[in-house]
Amino acid sequence: MVKTVVDVVDLSFTYSGSVSPALDKVNLQVKPGEFLTITGASGCGKSTLVLCMAGFIPYAFPGNMQGLVRVMDKDTRDYPAGGLSGIVGLVQQDPEAQLCTLRVNDEVAFGPENLCVPPEMIEERVRFALDAVGALNLWERQVQTLSGGEKQRVAIASVLAMNPLLIVLDEPTANLDPKCTREVLQVLERLRREQAMSIIVVEHRLEKLLPITDRLVTMERGRIAGDGAPQDHRKTYIPSPTCLVENNKKIPGPYPNQPMLSVENLRAGYEGGDVLAAVNFDLYPGEIVAVMGDNGSGKTTLIANLLGMLSPREGSVRFKGVDITALKVTKRARDLGLTFQNPNHQLFEVTVLKDAALPSLFLSTNPAEKTERDIYELLERFDLLPYREKNPFTLSLGEKKRLTLVSVLAYAPEVLILDEPLVGQDSDRLDLLLQAMREHCGRGGLTLMVCHEPAVVASYCHRILFLDEGKLVVDAGVQEAFRKLAQLGREEYLPDGYPFTVRSKEARRDVP
Amino acid sequence: MFLNRGKHLNFPATNLKNLFPGLTYVAGYSALHRLHPLVKLVLLVCFTLAVFTVPSIHGGLVLFVLLLFSYHLAGLGTGFFVRKLRFIFIFGFLILLVQILWVKEGYLIWQFGLGRWHFAVWSGGLWGGLGIVLRFVNVIGSSYLFVSTTDPNRLAYALMKAGLPYRAGFMLITAMRFIPLFRMELALVKNAQMAKGIELEGLSPRWLLRVVKHLLVPLVISALSKVDFLTMSMESRAFGLYPTRSYMYAQTMSFKDKLVLAGTPLVLLFFYFAFR
Repeated sequence: MVKTVVDVVDLSFTYSGSVSPALDKVNLQVKPGEFLTITGASGCGKSTLVLCMAGFIPYAFPGNMQGLVRVMDKDTRDYPAGGLSGIVGLVQQDPEAQLCTLRVNDEVAFGPENLCVPPEMIEERVRFALDAVGALNLWERQVQTLSGGEKQRVAIASVLAMNPLLIVLDEPTANLDPKCTREVLQVLERLRREQAMSIIVVEHRLEKLLPITDRLVTMERGRIAGDGAPQDHRKTYIPSPTCLVENNKKIPGPYPNQPMLSVENLRAGYEGGDVLAAVNFDLYPGEIVAVMGDNGSGKTTLIANLLGMLSPREGSVRFKGVDITALKVTKRARDLGLTFQNPNHQLFEVTVLKDAALPSLFLSTNPAEKTERDIYELLERFDLLPYREKNPFTLSLGEKKRLTLVSVLAYAPEVLILDEPLVGQDSDRLDLLLQAMREHCGRGGLTLMVCHEPAVVASYCHRILFLDEGKLVVDAGVQEAFRKLAQLGREEYLPDGYPFTVRSKEARRDVP
Repeated sequence: MFLNRGKHLNFPATNLKNLFPGLTYVAGYSALHRLHPLVKLVLLVCFTLAVFTVPSIHGGLVLFVLLLFSYHLAGLGTGFFVRKLRFIFIFGFLILLVQILWVKEGYLIWQFGLGRWHFAVWSGGLWGGLGIVLRFVNVIGSSYLFVSTTDPNRLAYALMKAGLPYRAGFMLITAMRFIPLFRMELALVKNAQMAKGIELEGLSPRWLLRVVKHLLVPLVISALSKVDFLTMSMESRAFGLYPTRSYMYAQTMSFKDKLVLAGTPLVLLFFYFAFR
């Protein structure tokens, strides 16, 4: 039996066209059956390391590779192209883009079929893999009808069906809500327990992952900065409950005189039926409000209605007491600045500078010179000024998210509506973004933020609006909201160790 | 200075969305739905051949009635036929009108005058136009029926089992997988433009071009990024590793399928000799 599944020896890699190495003398061994988590700031080389281990580097990505990656005691460069299929399975972060067929059973059978496994064995493997991820009930389902968590489970099953020795998951929960994240992590825990395979997970969100991790590797600037038991790193990567509460006290308070944004009896949906039912709330100047809820609970529909991208079937939206329900999107955009969940949908120009300035052309009331000055300042503040002449599509996910925020802040709308703005940000940049929100709220602005990070919500938000199947089931201050969520059994939405996280039994006793 | 505010001219926007029906598979369990996809493909080819080889109006009408009956058999009904193909009917009506107004052959059927204007309907124009319209409706209608009753996934796998190179088969499958996704993304990008204050209705030609560019660039980038993910996902699962592949399901033909397959060319021959 081999001692290591993967052996990385003095590995350095520089992408073609880049001057600095993405990996710099990395050494790492992965043992059979080991559950390894790799973390680190954006751009530290995690994904590059994963691509090396899965054999895509140097085949699919040109660059200068030095050192060795051995999989099952054989140099990855000695395998033919695609030869690692069936030995190393790769699950990527976008659950939508990695599924290539139309039905779940075809998707899971795809790998074994490509390996020319006899037909009578394929069905057996597909059943085993779907059963292992708890998705046998999805057998005949159309892929496009699956939730994000279900898609990710099917992606894992499709890799499992090839009987790999190692599964590598690159930020498998990055696009998922807490409920789907919990589903995926439960699958990983089950695989760790029941299957004798090695698992490597690259992840930013560690709270729920560390309890099932054998080993935590941290990376910084292409190097391994830490490698050991997860307990040793817990303090560094997970904020303490006390810190959360203390932080929460530091946010400026709201000014509850007149509501800035009101939603009255909102009923809205699409051709298939209603998505939102009788939603009511008032939001005040100076508030930072988190919108939480599972995928499909109506968060996006709510945002679309606030901006006028979707017309409500009933009810109204008011801005500073004025009914804006009939107002066009472009008219509302002056006061309601929106950043999308996927920044790629919001980048239109050829340079970062032009893209940051685009909305201001239509929406800013300031003189052009002042707006230009503001844009330069914002770009500098959000670490984007060095890229001002670069194409925005060449930026990383976190940088693109910051750019879309800059483009909105540049014309200073009174309401910021941010759809998962914190995805892809390392801790320093996270602080930068949250500080900007604090300042906006300090100036009397309102921030409405879709956020799946309970720890951040606990630290930086005043209120939580929690949607469940189109109904607003919780609308309360953060502490009260977490208490109610605990009562509702939605523990995946509570930060670890938060004082009101009365673990299930006691809390559920109070449920009416 | 990089801020250069443009002035917009107002142009009316036209909404053609409701005129073009969605061409998609409609799930069902009718006899037509259950037929093997390749048998349906042969049926479609034979029907189309019949449309072009049978020149008479009567033959065209019989095929049209047969088509309506097939829609009924598929559980879709004539209402579906009329609703989904209204664009074809409008287009067919225009063809008929052009034929009637321009073709002056055969015998005179009807005429009337309106001041300086004089209209006449000739038999050559009317019957010729009707023949063209029937062919047009029969061909498009039968293709639409094929798409509505054939699971595209099953069709692609059946084609691959029948000898289509699997790389080409999966081009078809992945295209079908991503079409709804890109349609959704297009709507998102349009919303994103409006959220940035870009008015999509009433733009000057210069800004219209810029907006189209703004629409296409994010879509192309998104498509390319998805292609990257998809390629890695497929290659990491051994796609293309071997010249052939195995299939979980055999896609066998039932006795009924074989019967229809054998009978269809005979029916085509009957039509040819009955209506030529």
